[in-house]
Amino acid sequence: MTALLRYQAALLIGSHRWLPPVILYAAYLAVGVQTGGPILDSFGFAAAGLLPVAVWLTRICVTNEPPAARSCAAAATGPGRVHLACVLTATGAASLLALLGTAFVALSADPHSSVGRVPVPVPAATGAGLLTALACVLLGTAIGALCNWPVLRSPGAAIPAGLLAALVLSVVSASPANAAVSGLVTGSASGTISTPWLPLAATLPIAAAATAVACALSSRRT
Amino acid sequence: MRLDGVGRRYGVSGPWVLRDVHLEVPARALLRVEGTNGSGKSTLLRLFAGIDRPSAGRITGRPRTAYVPERFPGALPFTALGYLTHLGRVHGLRGPDAARRAGEWLERFGAAGHARTPLANLSKGTSQKVAVAQALLARPELLVLDEAWTGLDPGARDVLDRAVAERIADGGTVVFVDHDPRRLEGAADARYRVADGRLLAEAGGAVSGAAVAAGPRVIIEAEGAPGSAPDRLRERGGQELPGAPDITAGPDGTTRLTVPAVHSDALLRALLTARPPWHIRSVAAAPSPATPDDQRITPAPTPNAPAHVHPHSDEAPLP
Repeated sequence: MTALLRYQAALLIGSHRWLPPVILYAAYLAVGVQTGGPILDSFGFAAAGLLPVAVWLTRICVTNEPPAARSCAAAATGPGRVHLACVLTATGAASLLALLGTAFVALSADPHSSVGRVPVPVPAATGAGLLTALACVLLGTAIGALCNWPVLRSPGAAIPAGLLAALVLSVVSASPANAAVSGLVTGSASGTISTPWLPLAATLPIAAAATAVACALSSRRT
Repeated sequence: MRLDGVGRRYGVSGPWVLRDVHLEVPARALLRVEGTNGSGKSTLLRLFAGIDRPSAGRITGRPRTAYVPERFPGALPFTALGYLTHLGRVHGLRGPDAARRAGEWLERFGAAGHARTPLANLSKGTSQKVAVAQALLARPELLVLDEAWTGLDPGARDVLDRAVAERIADGGTVVFVDHDPRRLEGAADARYRVADGRLLAEAGGAVSGAAVAAGPRVIIEAEGAPGSAPDRLRERGGQELPGAPDITAGPDGTTRLTVPAVHSDALLRALLTARPPWHIRSVAAAPSPATPDDQRITPAPTPNAPAHVHPHSDEAPLP
C-alpha cells in the first residue's frame, strides 16, 4: 500500500493536474479572507471552499492513470487497492491544502468575534477550523469517489453530478459539512467556538462507505 | 490457481462474454489462449490477471501476478527507469532492488539508453519494452501476456521468449495470447481456444506426444560428472528440467537433450548450475521436421548458447 500511495502521489505531482484546483483555492482564499476579518467567519469560509476542491482532486486522482497502466498495477496488488490508493492520495492532497488554508487564516485573521469584538482564543479556534476543513475534505472525497469512475464512467455524467452534489451538500442544512461551517459562522457573532465533533464523526463513515463502494466496483467495471 | 464455473459479462443484463470456465492452472506451465478478435480472449486474460472479477463462479489460490497489456500508452509523468522503480515497489520489491532490476531489464531489452527518457517521449516499441519489463522485474508466479510481443523488435521478441522460458523454469506459469501462430511454437504445455464464450482445450501442447516436434528445437550434448546419470538430473529437487527435454544417450557416454529452442537457455543454466555441474559438449539446432517447401525459416545451425557458458565448455564446437 505504501508503494501504491507513493506511486499515486508521484503521479499526481508529476501530472501538474493539481495546479488548477490549488490555484483556484488560493485565489478563493485571497479574495474571501480579508486580512483582519473575524477569525471564525474566515475559518468557515476557508473550509467551505475545500469541499468542491476535494471533489475535483478526487476526480483528478482516480482518472490520472491510463487504463493500461492501471491494469499493470492492478494485476500486482488488486484493483481495489489501486483505487483505494487513488482516493487516499486525493484525500491527502486536499488535507494538505486544508492545513495550509487553516494556517493562512490563523495567521492573517483578527481573533475577535464579528459583533462586539469579543476576543476569540486563537488555538481553540484554529482547532475548530481545522476539524471543519477536514469534515469538508472527507465529504468532498466521498462525493468524488461516488461521482467518478468506476461508479459513473462517462465524464458527461461524472462532472455535472460531482458539481451538483458539491453544491447541494454545501447548502443543505442536513449536510455535515454545512453543519460544521454554519456552526463556526453563527458562533462568530458572539465569539463562541463550536468544535464540529459531530459533523466530523458523521463524515468519517460516509467517506469510508463511499470509498468502499468505489473500490469494490473497480474490479467489476472495465 | 483454480477457476470454478467462471463467467463474465459487462453490465447486469449484458450478454455473457465468457461462461462456465473450469480450469486448474498448473505451476511450471506455458498456456496459450487462441480465439478470433472479440471472442473474449482479453476478458479471459484480465480474469487470469485479477484485474476483473468474474460475474459468476470464483477464482481461488491466486499467486503473485503480473500483466502486460497489448498497448502501453506512456502518458505518465515518469522516466522509464522511474516508472519501473515505482512498479517494482508496487510488486513488493525494496526500492534499491527495484531500481537495480529495472535497469537490468531495460538493458536486456536494449533500452538502457532510454532509462532517463520520459515515457511520453518513447516510441511505441520502447514503451512496450517498459510494459514488459514492469511485469518481469518482480519474477511473478503468474505472468499474463496479452499480445505483449506486438510492437517489439525481433531482438526484444527473442528476449521476451527467453524470459518466458525462465519464468517457467523457476516454477512459474505463463498465460499468453498472440496472433502469430509460431509464437513459442512447440513450447506451450497446453492450448485453449475461446469460442462462443466457452474455453475449449485444444490438442497440440508439447506434452501431448505427437505434436512435440513442432517448432524449432535445440540439441544439447552434455556430459555428467562420473556417476551422475541424466535420471538423477531429472530428479533434481523433484522438478522437471526446463522445457521437459527428450533425454537420449549420445556418443561417448554423453547425454543428448532435445528441447524447444526457447527453453534452451534455461536448460543450459540448469545443467551448468546442477551439483555437480554438467559439462556442455555442444549445442546445435535440431534438424527441422518441417517439409522443405514450408515457409518457415529453418533455424540456422548456430548455437543458441548464452554468453555465460560454463568455462569447461571451451572445447565445445561453438563457432
